[in-house]
Amino acid sequence: MKTLLIKTHELWIEMLMASFMSQDKNRETLNEFADITFRHFTWIEHQLIKNGESYDYNRDSIPIKVEKLSVILSNISNRMSELDLQLAGCSDPKLANRISSDIKYIRNTISKMSDQNITAFNASRELKDIVLSAEAIDALTLFLFEESYKEYELIMIYNHLKAHSDDAYLNRIFQIMIDESQFHLKRFGKMMAEMGILGVPRTIHKSLYQVEDVAQFLRDGIDEEIAAKEMCKELSDAVAKDSKEIAEFFDFINFQEDYHISLMREALVHYEETYLDV
Amino acid sequence: MTKVDQELIEHMSNPKNYGSIEYADAMGIGENPNNGEKVIIYLRVTNDGGIFTISDIKYQAIGCMTTVVAGSVITQEAMGITFDIAEQLVSVTLGMLENVPPEDAACSEMVALALRAALDTYIGKQSNPEYGTISYKIENNCTPLEATHENPTD
Repeated sequence: MKTLLIKTHELWIEMLMASFMSQDKNRETLNEFADITFRHFTWIEHQLIKNGESYDYNRDSIPIKVEKLSVILSNISNRMSELDLQLAGCSDPKLANRISSDIKYIRNTISKMSDQNITAFNASRELKDIVLSAEAIDALTLFLFEESYKEYELIMIYNHLKAHSDDAYLNRIFQIMIDESQFHLKRFGKMMAEMGILGVPRTIHKSLYQVEDVAQFLRDGIDEEIAAKEMCKELSDAVAKDSKEIAEFFDFINFQEDYHISLMREALVHYEETYLDV
Repeated sequence: MTKVDQELIEHMSNPKNYGSIEYADAMGIGENPNNGEKVIIYLRVTNDGGIFTISDIKYQAIGCMTTVVAGSVITQEAMGITFDIAEQLVSVTLGMLENVPPEDAACSEMVALALRAALDTYIGKQSNPEYGTISYKIENNCTPLEATHENPTD
């Protein structure tokens, strides 16, 4: 089961990266398949918790630098074959059947996808129809690398918190935070692919997601969101004179952080009242 | 503002030696006590008649992208060298940081100290196999260099 979790984690990321690389209608389909694979990941994780088995979010590095979409699709297909074999060791046959059925359909669908040349690694650092100054491009590049990892990290942390909580109030907030970070990661990933600088987020150290002090995590998280707002504001200012469109996008992300902060404050108050008697 | 070039992009998109070594011969930690950021270095070491050589090195960073890039650069330099040269690498790196503003130096210092901690941990283990993982705190936030011992976690 642990290997199943790792392989599914890797498949989710590889599928997500393939969706960023793709520049036609395949993108949306791959994106949906990535979402399905992430849900598989959470189901397997739930089963591991039910079984009382320890696990972590470690994974192998995932090579994604390809020149043709068909290459990464072939890699994904091979990974799914391995996963299908691993399902034999799944302690819940119904879960195994459900995932296996999805895999069969996904493999069949991607086998029919049209091929494309991939430009996600050409380091052009150009955006379609938008000309930014060298300074703005550098600022955007650094922001995207920093924040794409950060969004992945947040998805995994909130997912781990949710997986280990039976508190419906908190889990509603954790799920919103996961969804928001999924959205940000996808937007940043697509932008990185367009700029030819796509990279897989690095693995997360277990001390980050195996949260021991939830209240402190939420307090630190609120501070981080406030800092992220400042980063978005700086980036928006840096690109504003070159591109109103990009500036507005980062203002939009900036204002979304307000919502995250409100939710995290709600979660903190609830946690303190319910579990810490504050 | 940092100037972004192809080499920096390569380190950011594909950090070299990122990860951990299962059953590493030694680990070392460099940490920033002010914000909880840390770098963990894992070593595989060959011992050829008392000459210790780094045969494999990995690192993990709980920190920003600058720390990740510093880890990628320094671990590449450290791969395959003896402990004596590795200690020189640490000293040269820390020396270069003396002319860098503290807030910019902190990330590289954390990596260099993690490497020194891993080297010192390995040496400590030679006389005491139960020797714990050393953690050094960075100076660039006005925190004096000091060593603490932790139980290995991996």
